[in-house]
Amino acid sequence: MELNIVGANAITYPAMHVWDWRVAIYLFLGGLSGGLMTMSAINYLRPKKNFDSSCSWQITLLAPILLSIGLFFLNLDLERKLNAFWFYLAFKPVSPMSWGAWIVLFIYPLMILYALAALPKEVKAGIKNRSLRNASDAMQPHLLKLAKANVIAGILLAIYTGILLSTLVARPLWNSAILPVLFLTSGMSAGAAVMIIVAKTKETKLFFTKVDIWLIVAELIVLLLFFYGHYVGDAAHRQAIMPFFSSSHEFFPYFLSIVVLGVCLPLAIVLKFLEVTGEHTEELTTSGLLLMNASAVLVLIGGAVIRFAVVYAGQLSGYGGYM
Amino acid sequence: MAFSRRNFLKYAAMSAGGTLIADAPFFSARARAEAEGGNVRYVPTSCEMCFWKCGAIAKVEKDKDGKDVVVKLEGNPLHPQSMGRLCARGQAGIGQLYDPDRLKRPMIRTGKRGDGKYKEVSWDEALTYTADKLKEIIAKNGPESVSMMSHGSPGDYFTNLVKALGSGNIAFASFAQCKGIRDAAWELTFGHKPGSSCERVDLKNSRVIVLLGTHLGENMHNSQTQEFAEAVGNGAKIICVDPRYSTAASKASLWLPIKPGTDTALLLTWINIIISEELHDKAYVEQYTIGFEQLKEAVKQYTPEWCAKETDLPEADIVEAARDLGRYAPHVVIHPGRHAAWYGNDAQRSRAMAILNAILGAWGREGGMWLPANGKFASFNDGYPKYPDPAKPPVIKGDYPFAGGEGLTQVLRDTIITGKPYPIKALFVCGTDMLKALPAPDLTRKAIDNLDLMIAVDIMPSETAMMADVILPECTYLERHDGLFKVEARQAGVGIRQPAIEPLHETKPAWWIASELCKKMGLTEYAVKDSWEARMKRQAAAWGVKYEDVADKGYVTIPGSEKPYITADNQPEFKTTSGKIELFSADLEKHSFDPVPKYEPTEGPEQGMYRLLYGRSPVHTFSRTINDQWLWEIQPENEVWLNKKEAEALGLKDRQLVKLENQDKVTVGPVRVKVTERIRRDCVYMVHGFGHNSPRLKRAHQRGVDDQQLITRYKVDPITGGTGMRVNFVKIIKEA
Amino acid sequence: MPRYVMVIDQSRCVGCMACVVACKRENDIALDHYRTRVVEMVKGEFPRLRTEMRSELCNHCASPPCVNICPTGASHKEEDGTVQINRHKCVGCKACITACPYDVRYINEEHGYADKCSFCQHRLKEGKEPACVATCIGRSRMFGDFDDPNSLVSKVLRENSWRVLKPEVGTKPNVYYINQFPRKS
Repeated sequence: MELNIVGANAITYPAMHVWDWRVAIYLFLGGLSGGLMTMSAINYLRPKKNFDSSCSWQITLLAPILLSIGLFFLNLDLERKLNAFWFYLAFKPVSPMSWGAWIVLFIYPLMILYALAALPKEVKAGIKNRSLRNASDAMQPHLLKLAKANVIAGILLAIYTGILLSTLVARPLWNSAILPVLFLTSGMSAGAAVMIIVAKTKETKLFFTKVDIWLIVAELIVLLLFFYGHYVGDAAHRQAIMPFFSSSHEFFPYFLSIVVLGVCLPLAIVLKFLEVTGEHTEELTTSGLLLMNASAVLVLIGGAVIRFAVVYAGQLSGYGGYM
Repeated sequence: MAFSRRNFLKYAAMSAGGTLIADAPFFSARARAEAEGGNVRYVPTSCEMCFWKCGAIAKVEKDKDGKDVVVKLEGNPLHPQSMGRLCARGQAGIGQLYDPDRLKRPMIRTGKRGDGKYKEVSWDEALTYTADKLKEIIAKNGPESVSMMSHGSPGDYFTNLVKALGSGNIAFASFAQCKGIRDAAWELTFGHKPGSSCERVDLKNSRVIVLLGTHLGENMHNSQTQEFAEAVGNGAKIICVDPRYSTAASKASLWLPIKPGTDTALLLTWINIIISEELHDKAYVEQYTIGFEQLKEAVKQYTPEWCAKETDLPEADIVEAARDLGRYAPHVVIHPGRHAAWYGNDAQRSRAMAILNAILGAWGREGGMWLPANGKFASFNDGYPKYPDPAKPPVIKGDYPFAGGEGLTQVLRDTIITGKPYPIKALFVCGTDMLKALPAPDLTRKAIDNLDLMIAVDIMPSETAMMADVILPECTYLERHDGLFKVEARQAGVGIRQPAIEPLHETKPAWWIASELCKKMGLTEYAVKDSWEARMKRQAAAWGVKYEDVADKGYVTIPGSEKPYITADNQPEFKTTSGKIELFSADLEKHSFDPVPKYEPTEGPEQGMYRLLYGRSPVHTFSRTINDQWLWEIQPENEVWLNKKEAEALGLKDRQLVKLENQDKVTVGPVRVKVTERIRRDCVYMVHGFGHNSPRLKRAHQRGVDDQQLITRYKVDPITGGTGMRVNFVKIIKEA
Repeated sequence: MPRYVMVIDQSRCVGCMACVVACKRENDIALDHYRTRVVEMVKGEFPRLRTEMRSELCNHCASPPCVNICPTGASHKEEDGTVQINRHKCVGCKACITACPYDVRYINEEHGYADKCSFCQHRLKEGKEPACVATCIGRSRMFGDFDDPNSLVSKVLRENSWRVLKPEVGTKPNVYYINQFPRKS
């Protein structure tokens, strides 16, 4: 067919490029932050053997920091940053964007109260600001309640990053109820990976390694279901996943992302499996530590690749087109 | 103004009839401004983005400094050329008005011709310089050595000047490079041109429309394209004869991708089929034509079988088209076309088209062609004295017995080059980029080199304008009075061009420039007496229309002038020698031309070469609108259309850059190739007007390529002197 | 309240681009940005070809995904059935651009807000048709009140088979298309 269009806008034609790396980073950091909230809370909530307190309190601070960085990138993407206050002058129940703005508003206090409650005594002693110390003291008794709340809030945050995209009916790649679950598993898995990296004790590292194995398995299953769901869907959905399975050079980045995911995630599982089943001395050896961190990094790479690939490929997908 | 449901109903009902304004049954600038109040003014005028002279309405607002700004242009619903609508170019008139690249001040050349070095001067200095130079030239070579080439409205005023000086050497590109050939052929047949303001084709009522050399949709003649769409909507059968699948072809029931140069074979074969199957309008032929028997005899040789071979068209399609024409006659029309300068035997092709219309009885019939409107306009020349008779006869008609009064530009050019029969040393170039309008631009350059004085009157710094010795910047149509226009559509009427705003920069209306030059040349009696508007008022009085009405409404109709179809008391008048439609032309025979058209084969391309075809874009008028922001944005450059199979053979991909080299080794490019199924394999096509060489046209400069540079050869029609330009061949060179 | 709809007779579109330029001038749209476009699709092999001309613009959907996604209510549905943008409320998040299956939205680069066809709301208030309709050379574009049984558009939609673009997305467009191809007689 010979196609001639007069009056197309560059933002949508020949290919839509509305959202870019800034949004992908936001979605990744948002999911990671949610994963961290949940995982660090689980760390408190699980039956304690050798409680690794130093690891958890740092993580509780890391979650809001990462979310803030993510929001910073999201804000970079806004064309009218000074108008952002309008997010909070309206609540649009059908708009996931609006939900997202409000969720963030409720999650921040939760994160901060949780972080305050989790401050260990020796750290608190070093804080000069008195009211901060007092606040921390006041929160401490509620640590477990706050941790439970953080488990839920972290899941919500991680799911939300996928819901935002999945409601966009015009972009078939995103328009899938599996996507939020994919982002959830990926976010949780990334959260566990960060726990492994920052944890000090062997026991904590191994615990989250076990957790992560299950999360990666879940993520891989969901990823397969995601593609399967599109494949058995209507023409637009089937077309939407085409870039990932195309040998055409123009879609090479998407093909590569599948290869990376296909290598990173299973490799991470294998490494983790070896760690869990392997013999460990009382203290981890340097090479054992390296291996653990390496597998965790693989999981983080996988999480980032998923976000980037989905954000970019989703904009290539659409209904109809010119035929 | 409240938008009530009642208004809406009224307006919805009208929108079907094409009325724009909800509350006013017809347009009135005054009423509309009053209704809207505030700072808005509406100025009805006539568009000049092309030459169709559509009625336009300029919406003028005050900007924050209190200056008038034209913010929008709309069609005038009263005006038959626009019927309330403007095309893309009409809408984009504002782009020309506010083009930063416009010629802004008078300039005198300081460097060598063509190197673009000029000094800006005052109007008085420019006009004095021009007048002094003209006087020198006239003193040395006589007044006939002053000449003009023009296309568009400034030409009228300079015609007056040049004639007052005592020269008749005035030529318009609209004749030899465009429709003059056709007009002459139709005058030989019907004693009338096929139209003046527009071709008198009754498309909206037609049952069968043949387009041969007409590309409605790409050739955006407003009212006619509106009617064409109407015909498509009505389910008229459109037969489109074109080597290229044009927009019109895409609307056609039958597309005949004819081998270029064989159109006359097809037309004569159709005539033969129609006559031999007795499908012609016998009573009409009997009553209004002469020479039917000679015609019948002459076309016998053109059989469908022969025609199919010659034209490379399916025989069945040829016959089907002829039978459809016969079946629905006389409510059928073969559109006369417009740009007819193709192969050097074009008058006979135009004659064949006229004859085909005649035997089908289309002239003066519903769905055929309407009769000229019966509008009487008293002649008016504002009391100018008679022009002096040129001491030496004008050269502009060459040796072509049927060349029209508009003159032959290429003959004037040749005379400037050779100095024979007498030298022509001064040239006014009014509103035309000659280098793009005339074939063989090298000859144009040579002619320019031979001039002692070249004066350009133009709006934009075209390549031609930037070779002039003096540049006199004209203001755009939105800044000037231009006159009352006779509008000859189905009914006769009067249109107007009046300024929406004061001229920008140091530009002036052409009437003022020409008039001031008259004064400087001591020809005060030919100068404008007071103002052009005052003259227009006198003209309105002479024509019997109220000036205030025309100025307020933009158009008034001459009541009772519409007599479109032949009836018992509305008989057609044929201004031919015989007073009838001349199927056989004794006038042509007298000058040893074929009295009935004959088919002559045209030379085809050599192996590896393609015939160069050129045409139009709906968003541009030749080369003159390319720099207009709003149009440039839509089409900044042209591309060369090439058949897909040919492209495959050459290993070319769509949008790839190529160069084109013609038979005389002239190369242009790079240009993008459009690989398409929409064209025959033996030709390539591009839109004319691109590839500007003037660096002052910042947007248009060197975007796309100029077909005219490849048109180094032309074949002159012996009857009319028209320059056939589709006789050039190109080969495609891959860019490394 | 009227329910404004546009009907586009594709067979009558001659691809002249008058609508595109009229829209740009009427709404003072920046270079390289458009609220309406003309799509020409030619299929087949020489000499058997077929062309579809289709002008496209905001469909002013009855179920508009752009309005649903908008977090601030900047994109909203009005009583007359049109989808409009309140520029002051727009944060430029661009979700509406990705949400639109018809790719008719863009960002006004000077001010950052999302923009698109408004059916020339300012003209409607003055009792005029949208600029593209008013100047459409082929009278391919028609406009009016769907709820008014006497309007041109409701008549045309009663008497012709029509379609909308991408009905499978479920947006319920208010721009209707008739006569995809010219009739061959």
